[in-house]
Amino acid sequence: MDFESDDRRILERPIKQKVKSAETTLYTPQKQMFPRTSETSANKKKLLRGGLAERLNDLQNRERSAISLWRHQCVSYQKTLSGRKSGVLIVKILELHEECTIQVAMCEHLAGLQANSPSQGEVPRTGLKVLFTKETARHLKGHPQDIVHIYPPWQMLIAPSGSCPVILNTYFCQKVVAKEDSKIIHEVHCWDTALPRRSITLAQRFRFRNLTNISPESQVMYSGLTTRRTDCTHGHEEAKQCFPAQAPLRDSLLDAVESQGAAPWSGVGVRVVVQRVYCLPYRYQQGGGSAAPPDSDPPRVRGCLLVQDAYGMFSEVHSEVTILKDQQLEGKSCSLMGMKVLQKATRGRTAGLFSLIDTLWPPVMPLKAPGHGQACEKVKNHMPPPSFCYILTAHPNVGQIDIIEEDPVSKLYQPPVPRFLKEILQTNDLSTRCSFYARVIYQRPQQREIWLMVTDATLQMQDENNSGLPKTIPVCVAPSCVLSQEVLEALTEAVSHSFFFRDTVRAQGHIVCVERSVLLLQKPRLGVDSGAHSCELTGPVKLNELVSVTQVNSICSIQGTVIGVDESTAFSWPTCDMCGNERLELSPGDRDTFSCGDCSRVVTSPLLRKHLQVFLDCPSRPHCTVKVKLSQTSISSLLRFAACEDGSYEVKSVLGKEVGLLNCFVESITTHPASCIGLEEIELLSAGRASSEHCRLP
Amino acid sequence: MAVALPGATLPAVVEELLSEMAAAVQENARIPDEHLLSLKFIFGSSAVQALDLVDRQSVTLISSPSGRHVYQVLGSSGQTYTCLASCHYCSCPAFAFSVLRKSDSLLCKHLLAIYLSQVMGTCRQLKVSDKQLTDLLFVKKKQAAQKDSAAFNCVHLNTSQCGARANRIWHKQVL
Repeated sequence: MDFESDDRRILERPIKQKVKSAETTLYTPQKQMFPRTSETSANKKKLLRGGLAERLNDLQNRERSAISLWRHQCVSYQKTLSGRKSGVLIVKILELHEECTIQVAMCEHLAGLQANSPSQGEVPRTGLKVLFTKETARHLKGHPQDIVHIYPPWQMLIAPSGSCPVILNTYFCQKVVAKEDSKIIHEVHCWDTALPRRSITLAQRFRFRNLTNISPESQVMYSGLTTRRTDCTHGHEEAKQCFPAQAPLRDSLLDAVESQGAAPWSGVGVRVVVQRVYCLPYRYQQGGGSAAPPDSDPPRVRGCLLVQDAYGMFSEVHSEVTILKDQQLEGKSCSLMGMKVLQKATRGRTAGLFSLIDTLWPPVMPLKAPGHGQACEKVKNHMPPPSFCYILTAHPNVGQIDIIEEDPVSKLYQPPVPRFLKEILQTNDLSTRCSFYARVIYQRPQQREIWLMVTDATLQMQDENNSGLPKTIPVCVAPSCVLSQEVLEALTEAVSHSFFFRDTVRAQGHIVCVERSVLLLQKPRLGVDSGAHSCELTGPVKLNELVSVTQVNSICSIQGTVIGVDESTAFSWPTCDMCGNERLELSPGDRDTFSCGDCSRVVTSPLLRKHLQVFLDCPSRPHCTVKVKLSQTSISSLLRFAACEDGSYEVKSVLGKEVGLLNCFVESITTHPASCIGLEEIELLSAGRASSEHCRLP
Repeated sequence: MAVALPGATLPAVVEELLSEMAAAVQENARIPDEHLLSLKFIFGSSAVQALDLVDRQSVTLISSPSGRHVYQVLGSSGQTYTCLASCHYCSCPAFAFSVLRKSDSLLCKHLLAIYLSQVMGTCRQLKVSDKQLTDLLFVKKKQAAQKDSAAFNCVHLNTSQCGARANRIWHKQVL
C-alpha cells in the first residue's frame, strides 16, 4: 500500500485467522459493498420532512437545472453572456492543482470584488483561490493564464487567519479567450495533463469556532422574509454586507418582466401590495416545479402571494412556505427582487387564478396609467379586468421579498369581504369567489376530499315557510386546497369549530374550497366581530328534513316507521370495554372468552357493537326506499324489547316501530330503476365536546 | 503575483464553512441556503446523505471515564459505524475506498455527519465504562460477519495510546 503521508503509523499484530488481504480487498472493491454515491440513489431515499437534507435536496435540484441551462446556453450560443454585469467575477488563473477531485486555482483577481464592502476589510488585490468541481473543471478546461468569468451566484469564504479569500459554487463560469490568442492557446493546450494532486492528511481534525453544546429542537423560524442574496462576502462574524447595492424600486411589474426576460432579475426590484397569501400544492404549479411526489405522501406545497402593482397588474409569486407562515404579509406593501418568470398565465388556462383576481377588480384606488406619472381616475373606471398574469418565483439565493413600511401602493389592498351564507345562497351567480364565516357541525372525509357541513346564524334562523334555503350547506374541501397545520389539527379534534372560509367557489347546492381558497380557524372570543357573531348559534342546530331536493353529501333529519331490516348486513361483534379495540381474538386457552391485543388482557365483559340497517317509510319521501344505518344508541333502543331467548332478535318485533328524529348523512341517492336513498345516522359536532362517530380524519 | 501556498486549501475552507454554520445555529438563525449549497459543492452527494443522518440524530459520542471518546454513527442501512474522535477515520467501506484508497473524498458521509451534528448541537451522548469502550474499538466476530465479503486488515489498538496520536487504523474482520 502506498501511504503518502509520513505521520501515519500502523500497529500490527500477527493475525491468526485466515483473512483476505487488505490489498486485494481495497484494490478490487466489489460493487455491492460500497454505498452508491451517485446522486440518483441519494434522491430516491426518503428524506426526513422539514429537515436540512430535504432543504439541500431541493436547493440542489434547482441548482442543477440552472447549471444545465447555463451549460446549454454556453455551448449553443457560443458567446459570452452579457447583460448581467453586476456580480461577475473576473480572474486570471495562475496555477492549478487538485485536492480530492476539487480543482483549486490560484488566481489573480481582475474585477468583480468591490472595494466598497465596508465590513469586509481589505480584499486582497491580487490573490484569490477559486475552487471548481470536477465537472465544472471538465467543461472549463482551465489552464494557467486563462481568464475566467464567474457569474453569480458564487460564494466567497474568508478565513480569519488572513489567507486569501476562497470562491465556491463556481458552477456558472466561462473562459474568455481573446481572438488573437485562441489559436496559440489551442495548440498549446490541446492535451490534458493531469494536475498535481495535493493530499490532505487524515491526522488533523477540523477545528471550527462557535462550537456549541446546545441542542436546538428545531430551527427557530426567522420572522424575516428574505432569502439572502449570495453575492455576499462571508467570513466576518459581525455584519454581513451584501453587494451589489440596493436596486431602486420600480412601480411596474410588466416593465420589470419585459426588461429582464427569462433571466432572474438582477438589479431590479418592484413595489407591490400583497393582496392574498395562500399555498398551492406542487402539481398545481405549472411550468417548472419538481415532479409531483407519489400519492402516499401529502402533496408538497409552495407558498404563494398574489400581488398587485401600482398599475393594477397582478402577479402570483411562488416562494418557500416558511416565508408565509405568519400571514403577516397580506395587505402590506413589499419589494420584490431577484424574481424569475415561471409562466404567463391566461384566463383560459388558469381560470382559478383569474376568478380570484376578479374579486379584486375593479381596484379601490386610482391606478397609474403607463406614461403618466400620477394616478388617473379615468383609468380606474374604464379598464377591463386583466387577461393575463405573470407567475414569478423567488429565484433561489437571489430572491427577496421585503416589507416596505407605509407605501401608498398598499392602499390598493382589498381584503376578502365576508358575506352571510343566506346572502351567498340567494345569489345566482356561481362564478365569483365568495368568503364567509361558518360553523362546522359535521365532517366526513371521502377519499381525498373532506366534506364539511356548515351553517351560520342566518341559515339557522330562517322561518320555515319563507325561504327555500337549506339550513346547512355542504362545503367540499378539494385536495387542491391546502389546509394549514392549525386547521388540520382543529379538524382532527372532532369538535365544532368556526372557520373563516376565504375565496371559495360555488357549485350547485354546495360550496367548494379549491386551490387558492384559505380556511382560517376562528377562535372563540368575546369580540364584536360580525363574522364571528354569525357563527354563534342561539340554539341546537336544526337540519332540513329529507326531501326530494336533498343532495348526496349533505345532512338532513328523518323520521319514519320501520318497514324492513337488512338482515344480510345485521351483525354484532365484541369490543374491548377498556380501549374500544374492535378486533378481539378468542383467548387461546378458553374458547369462550376474548382477549384484547392492545390492552394485553382477557376481556371478561366485552361491549357488543351492532351494525343494523333498517328500511323506513318516511312521510316526507313517500315513494322512495329509505335505508338508514343506525347508530349504536338507536339500535339499542330499537331492539330493547325485541330480544329472543337465544340472544338473537326477532325482525317482526321491530317492524312498525317509529324512529326519529334522526340526524343523517346522505350517502347515496339512486333514481333508476327505483328511487333509493342510503343514509347513515350521525351525531353532530358540538363545541367543546368530541363526537364519537366518523369524525376523525385519517 | 500571488504566491502559491504549499499544502492543502480544502481543510481551511471546510473549517470556515462549519464555523459560519455554527455561528448561525448559535444565533438561533436559520442556516443560509448558500452554506448548504457550499457543503454540496465541496462534498458532493455525501452532503445530503450526511444532513439526513443529522436530521435523524444518528450520531452518538461515546465517552468513558478515562477520557476516551469515540463516535458511532447509525448508517442508513441500519449498520453502525465507528469513527474515531482524534483523527479522520470511519469503519465504513466508503471511507476505505473513497478517502483512503482513491483520495477522492475529504470525508465519508459519517464523518461529515459528525461534524454537522456538532454544528447543530444534535449529537447524542453516551457514557460507557472503559471496558465497554475498549470492546467497541475491537470489531467483534458477529458484527463483521454481517458484511458479505468485506475484509480489512485489523489492528488491535494499544489502549494506552488511543486518542493521543494520529493513527491510521484498520479494523479487522475476523471471519
